[in-house]
Amino acid sequence: MKTRIAATVLVILGIAAIVLYSSAYIVEEGKQVIVTQFGKPVDDVQDAGLHFKTPFIQEAYYLEKRLLPWDGAPESMQTKDKKRIDIDVWARWHIIHPMTFFVKVRNEARGQKILDDLVDSAVRDVVARHNLIDVVRKSNDELIYETEELERTEADPVMGNGRDDVEDEILRGVDLKEYGMELVKVRIKRVNYVASVRATVYERMISERLRIARLYDSEAQEEKNRILGQTTKELDQIEGEMEQKDAEIRGEANAQVIQMTAEAYGQSPDFYEFLRRLEVLKTTLDRDTRLILSTESDLFRMLKEPGQPMSAPVLSPRTSP
Amino acid sequence: MSSSDDFGGRQGRSFNADDVPWDQIGKGIQLALIGLTVVVVLLVGWSMFYRVEASDEGVVLRFGKQVATVPPGLHMKMPWPIDTVYQVPVQRIQSLEFGFETSQAGRKTLYAPKTSDDLAVAEMLTGDLNLGHVEWIVQYRIKDPMEFLFKVGSTEKIDLTSLPSGTVSDVNAAVPDTISDVSESVMRKLVGDSSIDYVLTIGREQLAKQAQELIQEELDNFEAGVDIITVKLQTTSPPTEQVQDAFQEVDRARQKKEQVVNEALGERNSKIPAARGAKDKAIAEAEGYQNRVVLETTGQVSAFLAQLAEYEKAPDVTRKRLYLEAMEEILSQAGSKTIIDESIRGVLPLLNLDQGTPIPSVERGGVR
Repeated sequence: MKTRIAATVLVILGIAAIVLYSSAYIVEEGKQVIVTQFGKPVDDVQDAGLHFKTPFIQEAYYLEKRLLPWDGAPESMQTKDKKRIDIDVWARWHIIHPMTFFVKVRNEARGQKILDDLVDSAVRDVVARHNLIDVVRKSNDELIYETEELERTEADPVMGNGRDDVEDEILRGVDLKEYGMELVKVRIKRVNYVASVRATVYERMISERLRIARLYDSEAQEEKNRILGQTTKELDQIEGEMEQKDAEIRGEANAQVIQMTAEAYGQSPDFYEFLRRLEVLKTTLDRDTRLILSTESDLFRMLKEPGQPMSAPVLSPRTSP
Repeated sequence: MSSSDDFGGRQGRSFNADDVPWDQIGKGIQLALIGLTVVVVLLVGWSMFYRVEASDEGVVLRFGKQVATVPPGLHMKMPWPIDTVYQVPVQRIQSLEFGFETSQAGRKTLYAPKTSDDLAVAEMLTGDLNLGHVEWIVQYRIKDPMEFLFKVGSTEKIDLTSLPSGTVSDVNAAVPDTISDVSESVMRKLVGDSSIDYVLTIGREQLAKQAQELIQEELDNFEAGVDIITVKLQTTSPPTEQVQDAFQEVDRARQKKEQVVNEALGERNSKIPAARGAKDKAIAEAEGYQNRVVLETTGQVSAFLAQLAEYEKAPDVTRKRLYLEAMEEILSQAGSKTIIDESIRGVLPLLNLDQGTPIPSVERGGVR
């Protein structure tokens, strides 16, 4: 009897456990639950904690409350200025109306599928409305270069806030309200030229750099020639000044000599001439000189007729070869 | 477990039997219940203790609702399914690499060969529509375990309850994915608004700093519960080797320019001072000349004046004396002398002066 009671209690306990198990459910943080009755959603539960539902009749479906990722595949498309680019976009979304979402979408994987379709077409629409520069840049701020030679004269202007605007337009272009979803953010992850264009971009970058290199080369010659020319000019200036000074000083010296001698010799030009004649004779007549003297010359006349006044001797010096 | 199998088996056979040995069955049930209770108690007891690792923080959920965060150490909790605990590595600094992959970190870090995906991550358009190759790292730390766990999710790992409690290190893979997405778009946005030069050289630090701020801002908007500790640019280079060569050609030309200019300046420096020296030398020489001739002239002049003073005392005799002294000197030095008397003047044209033949000379000082 005792054991029979025990068994009955056990069975009742078991049934109670089963009922409890099928009526109680746990909602964890970051989750939300849709309670359905015969498949029809009747309630959504947002609060985390222990909750109860009618056992067997009602069922609990878990949905994410957290922010969910979406990452599209890179797509090739054309910008307004006919540039072909590969663009890769990511987005973050969440479920804001779980009832609607549950009815129309059912689960998160299908939500992703909806985004695949909608975001991709929105991206195409927006990109087709913008030039490439709008997708790349976010402002018209001047680009900073290492050297001013590299600065571009012609730069395409950016419309509005460029990339930020493009992202916002994509975000606004995707309407998820009817699915009970909300797109929180759309961001351009990668954007690049398509592979065939990239090669020409590399070529352009190379030619641009080589242009600068050649510029430096010729600037080097320019600077060098300028320096050397300036050097020559200064050298000429210095040498000119040198010769000027030299001539001035020597001229002044000679003038002084002239002045001094004129003053002194002017006192007796005759005596000076006489002395100088003797000097000249002394220096011009040397060992190799042949003298032909006439007995009529002063020297001899002095011998013949001593006491006669005399004039300077007439000499005809001749240097033998 | 085997005891419960036993129990079920016997029950199955007891349908048509009146003389069931209830006592034995009762004993069996009792034994089974005792055994089961012991096992359950042990399991429950075991599940009530857990350890939080030193670098972690534990988040305790009661029926899925957060009730406490606990520091490292040994702790007790209510048994499953009432309490679950997530361990979140809040102290650990985690790192994400973009455009490259460290295959083995250590004394000598090895990098995995670049995949096409790495290249796609690193290659980006600059504001002047050039292409650059940028590699970078992002280091982050979990600052809010609750946000980290329950604000950002993923569709792949939707059921958090399927995670075993207590031992998870990579608790929420959606967060690193989000950081990765955000930092890629932020880095591209910044590089997209810079020149290629800025990205490669001058702007690297500034870019990293701005990237850190923007990534943090975006993640805070998402309530990802992480702190970006640092963003560092690694390799930044032109996209291909050929382009790199062209960039280096510019550097080379710049160096060469400096060199050529320096050489020209060197030549200038070697010439100008020398010329200035030569100028000073010439001036000094001229001045020396001036001094010398003035002094010489002064000497000559005073010599003349002295002679003149004496000469004027007895002009005739002095004049003769000077003349004769001079003649003496001259005649004694001259190599050959021919003295011709007036009366034989006609001989002169016969002398062959050009041949310089010695002419029979009269004796020195001789007079006819």
